Amino acid sequence: MWQCVAMIKGYAGRTLEVDLAARTFVFKPLDEEIARLYIGGKGYGTRLLYDRTEAGIDPLGPENPLIFATGPLNGSVAPQSNRFAVVCKSPLTGGIGNAACGGSYAYGMKRAGIDVLVVLNRSETPVRLDIDGDNDTVEFIDASDLWGKGTYETQEILGKKKHHAVIGPAGENLVLYAGIVSNERIAGRTGVGAVMGSKKLKAVTVRGKRKLEMDDPEAFKEYTKWVREMFKEHPVLGESLKRFGTAGIVGTTQARNIIPTKNFQRGNFDQALKVSGEYMEDHELVGVKSSCIHCPVTCGRDVELEGVGRVKGPEYETVALMGPNLEIGDLKKVAEWNYLADDMGMDTISLGAVLSFTMELEERGMLESGIHFGDPAGVSELIKDVAHRSGLGDDLADGVMRMSRKYGGGEFAMHVKGLELSAYDPRGSFAQGVEYATTNRGGCHVQGASMYLESVGPLTINPQNLKLKAEIPVAQQNLASAINSMVLCIFTTYGMIPKQIHDLRPDSFAHKALSFALENSGPLFLKAMQMKGKPMLWWEKWLTYITGTPLSGGHLQEIGGRVFNLERMYNLREGVDASTDTLPPRMLNESTFKGMESGHPLDQLLPRYYRNRGWDENGVPTAQTLERLQVAV
Amino acid sequence: MAVTVELTYAMGKVLGVDRFEVENASTAADIIAETKKRFGAKGDEFEKLTRVATIAVNGVLVSYRKGKSTRLSDGDVVSFVKAAAGG
Repeated sequence: MWQCVAMIKGYAGRTLEVDLAARTFVFKPLDEEIARLYIGGKGYGTRLLYDRTEAGIDPLGPENPLIFATGPLNGSVAPQSNRFAVVCKSPLTGGIGNAACGGSYAYGMKRAGIDVLVVLNRSETPVRLDIDGDNDTVEFIDASDLWGKGTYETQEILGKKKHHAVIGPAGENLVLYAGIVSNERIAGRTGVGAVMGSKKLKAVTVRGKRKLEMDDPEAFKEYTKWVREMFKEHPVLGESLKRFGTAGIVGTTQARNIIPTKNFQRGNFDQALKVSGEYMEDHELVGVKSSCIHCPVTCGRDVELEGVGRVKGPEYETVALMGPNLEIGDLKKVAEWNYLADDMGMDTISLGAVLSFTMELEERGMLESGIHFGDPAGVSELIKDVAHRSGLGDDLADGVMRMSRKYGGGEFAMHVKGLELSAYDPRGSFAQGVEYATTNRGGCHVQGASMYLESVGPLTINPQNLKLKAEIPVAQQNLASAINSMVLCIFTTYGMIPKQIHDLRPDSFAHKALSFALENSGPLFLKAMQMKGKPMLWWEKWLTYITGTPLSGGHLQEIGGRVFNLERMYNLREGVDASTDTLPPRMLNESTFKGMESGHPLDQLLPRYYRNRGWDENGVPTAQTLERLQVAV
Repeated sequence: MAVTVELTYAMGKVLGVDRFEVENASTAADIIAETKKRFGAKGDEFEKLTRVATIAVNGVLVSYRKGKSTRLSDGDVVSFVKAAAGG
């Protein structure tokens, strides 16, 4: 049996490489240098992808590795810590592909003693992997009987007590925004499920009884008790997410005029509250079992669907993009589509944007699709057609960018770099717009979540001026890159703003003074974020107690910056350059705010963002930046 | 002159509506006073909830303008906003 030799604590100390063509596998020692520089998760995976692939590979070809990566916090009982990252070249964007997922699979990987699983080549026939970490074996099992089945049934057949990562029909049929599912959670973005499908890999099951070694387990245990208590009292982590799930934000984005409505033609929908988290609590909620393992926040919602039973309810992105964005104010319908998408194994953000784009094409007479804004008729059937690439569904399966090339409508195709936009309209959230434009995987909100600091959180600054809008995204993207490398849930960062600040009355002097200080902090903001000192926040302390290496917020800004710049270098290598650092024309040219003449002022912010990043005017990291961050390319 | 008032979910539960029209309100403060008057006893509970919410006019917080004295125009949408986090 494999013995781990003195490694950095918190890691299992080994990676597993599986060759699906040769049906061979090999355990290898974890690369400690990569772990020190990139932690794990997204960072470690990106380093492997960059080093082990040639430029220009076919994302759906055998040469694209599919990398499942955990980090040192995974396998512990730290709240919000059981997530894994998936990294590969994206078939949707042609650039860096990655997605993170909760559920229990990350926990299973660490219990099996595997930090990183690299899947190489492809099988000729459907296959699944059964990995026994205690006996160091990998079985290649024929999966013809599972091929075609949904993600829920597949996991049911494989056994509820094991830890799985599976695809549904969407992944099998190479839908470019197919995801990978663990329990009721999905690694949704950038088409990682299509890459798994291209390998004919239906499922990975991991098991084992190995224990996580920590540098200071007693300190970790004591501190984690305190964190759990703090979470209980926190207005977001212990109250709103727990009671209303992520859809508790619907009323806020609606009031701020940034909830996507009718394919982002507006930011306000008169029936928005009927799909809110509060409405769900009052009318649909039957439990919270669909939440991730060991997570006290329990933002997962369970709802009852007629003819199906108890299923995972929709979260904010799904609610917004399949509700107001389609002009649908019927939560039951949204829940039904959410269930279908999860079962088929598809990203609901991309799917929602594809559906709204199709409806707008229909409305303008550019496509006969049979689906219309404000009308649920035909949507369920079309979702199934997308997953099976049948009829018009075959076009929708390619995403908004490719559809706009075929049918026109580029000015209202809501994507960045090919990745469909999340549910925060950047015309009312300027920093979030810069984040969308520059995030390496494309138009996504959880690679920074700048909107929390500027437009929806307790300490909002004016989100529609230029102050700090090119600085917040840098700090937030770096932080999120570090968080996704540990791998933690990004929601943990909502706890950064303490209860005492939430408790301030919005019209109080203290509230106004804090918002003023933040908005006018200018260059000091980034400098303060980058200061290296003692570990302060919970994820910094957990990393320190687990690995034995003290890491402060400044250290994590540096590591996150390293990960982000490596992703950028990967994108540049693949031809995804500064010309893609933009927003959909609708966001730049059309206003949704009274008195606002045009859209998002990206052209005024992007040069400053590049300078803050240490990139040249073409958006290329300078040699000094790469050297400072130790990014080897 | 008419403006549309959009309430938070909690306010809507108290008042039994989630949006309604108000005529002849010239500032955000007038909206609170008019709403309180219109809904009688429930209006007091509504007023309590306004203390933990901010106000937006057409999606823009009044704190960036003149607070509750911000002038309103015909067709404006006045919303009550609470801080939140989603995903």
